[in-house]
Amino acid sequence: MATHTTPDPRTGSTPPSGPAKPRRGPSAKANRTWTWLMLPGTLWMAAFLLASLVLVATLALGTTDPLGNPRFGFNLDNITALGDPAYRSVMLRSLGYALLTVVICLAVAYPVAYAIALHGGRFKNFLIAAIVVPFFANYLVRMYGWSVVLSDDGPLLKALRSIGIADGDTRILQTGPGVIAGLVYGFVVFMIIPLYAALERMDVSLIEAGRDLYGGPLRTFFHVTLPATRQGAAAGCVLVFLPAMGDFVSAQLMGGPDQIMIGNLIQDKFFQGQNWPLGSALTMLMMAVLFLGMLGYLRRTRKDEKDEAEAAQ
Amino acid sequence: MTLTVPGRTPHQDDPGARSKPRRGTAPRRARRGTDRKPRLAIAVTAVFFALLYLPIGVVVLFSFNSQKSLTVFKDFSLRWYGAFLRDDTLLQSLDMSLRVSLVAMAGSLILGVTLALGLVRSRSRLGSLAGLIMLIPLITPEIVTGVAAMLLFKGMGITLSTTTVMLAEITFSISYVTVVLRSRIAALNPETEEAAMDLGATRWQALRLVTLPALLPSILASAVLIFALVFDDFVLAYFTTGVDPQPLSVRIYSAIRFGVQPTINAVGTLMLAGSIALIVLALFIPRLFGRRGGLDLLSGK
Repeated sequence: MATHTTPDPRTGSTPPSGPAKPRRGPSAKANRTWTWLMLPGTLWMAAFLLASLVLVATLALGTTDPLGNPRFGFNLDNITALGDPAYRSVMLRSLGYALLTVVICLAVAYPVAYAIALHGGRFKNFLIAAIVVPFFANYLVRMYGWSVVLSDDGPLLKALRSIGIADGDTRILQTGPGVIAGLVYGFVVFMIIPLYAALERMDVSLIEAGRDLYGGPLRTFFHVTLPATRQGAAAGCVLVFLPAMGDFVSAQLMGGPDQIMIGNLIQDKFFQGQNWPLGSALTMLMMAVLFLGMLGYLRRTRKDEKDEAEAAQ
Repeated sequence: MTLTVPGRTPHQDDPGARSKPRRGTAPRRARRGTDRKPRLAIAVTAVFFALLYLPIGVVVLFSFNSQKSLTVFKDFSLRWYGAFLRDDTLLQSLDMSLRVSLVAMAGSLILGVTLALGLVRSRSRLGSLAGLIMLIPLITPEIVTGVAAMLLFKGMGITLSTTTVMLAEITFSISYVTVVLRSRIAALNPETEEAAMDLGATRWQALRLVTLPALLPSILASAVLIFALVFDDFVLAYFTTGVDPQPLSVRIYSAIRFGVQPTINAVGTLMLAGSIALIVLALFIPRLFGRRGGLDLLSGK
């Protein structure tokens, strides 16, 4: 690299005489240009995103004055208030609903992604597009349509009644399962896409090998397919869990007052209750729970990567 | 994403001569007895598709109902579309949503494309920091970013208005643009740019005349998607909008909380049609340019 006098075949130019500097790699000047280019976006994100998140964290330690205006300060009242049984039960419900949503999404998404990725044939891309496209449509309109479908004299209950699964008293709206149904409908695509990608990438001959060794379909699935696509499934779980924890539309449209989730509480503290410090504390609590979930996911994937590296040796 | 060409490859019964058995690209066709159809999975998929489209179908169908009912379809009528066109509040909201989407699209493209270029090319330490900040919106529930943005504006004494919605939506969309374009830029061959510079172009000319045209399909596709996403966004808009006018999705939210509003079916149908048209357009833009390198929406990368 040091001193070549023949024209560089890649650039077609002869390096200037004298001590030739390495031509490859960004020069310090180019590097500075690219860094400058990065600056506006970074500053914007720092100003509007980082600053605002810091503000929420700070205000969680604040108070409200007698008029109800938020005041910065340092007290732990809002944090200790989170121990209140009423909040604790909402928190536990949110966690439970979000986890159930993840489990149901997994149960639904696996067969769907499997059928399309491995047996979709030439319709594969079309079928996946047919799943993705509606999810880009307005979330509220979709949820609203879903609530009409689940309503007491909506098409779903009518169908279930006619085949005798449900009777006249069965309801879906205004129940916990109704909320979970809403969350599943809202976010199942976040499970299907990573699973589909993982199944697509998977070596199908492994499945065939499993079958050749007389593994039944279920056995093959649990011993071959599932381990091979574990990372896609883990990514899907995180992608569903995050928005499901934060959602407040599903609980509002599909649930009753007994089914509220932490998102509804936060919304209430900021709009009706006007207690922003407490709302901020609730937001931080939710973030803490999600952070723990993310940590678990990262540990898992890191372990998976290590296992894979060891297996490759 | 490598496309497997359907159809037979020569010597397919001779395992030695089979096309390279690379991971993920091995030809997937039914082989003797081993590739039975998973009936259960196919049944679940059929039910899934039915339930996926049922709510959308209901909204579209009842937007043409002559009656107010959401359970009994009487006659075909455009009554609710007419009601929408006469509803000034809804029309104002539509206008506002369109303006917000356009501004957010332009703003986030300018900031996002430059950020993505810098993130890929720069070797400075700022890059890793910016890369981390950029990921925050993607791993944070929207309600958190919404609450945070609202507090920031209120804390600075800014009255919530159309402008605050625009600012918040730009912030959120930058991440999206950057994530999509980053991999595209990384896949570009920097030597074409260097060649242009060796031929006398300045760095900026090389960027403008070589790099940006190569990125154009991806940029256009993400522009269309940003427009659709911002137009449909509810949570962020809900927390950052003022009283009047309000974005269309926020209006829909207040309407559906208070009982049956058939006009919403008409608005919803129009919005569904609009978003679906936009996403299909975004998916097809790369093909219009006759090259691969659009959005890998479907491969989940």
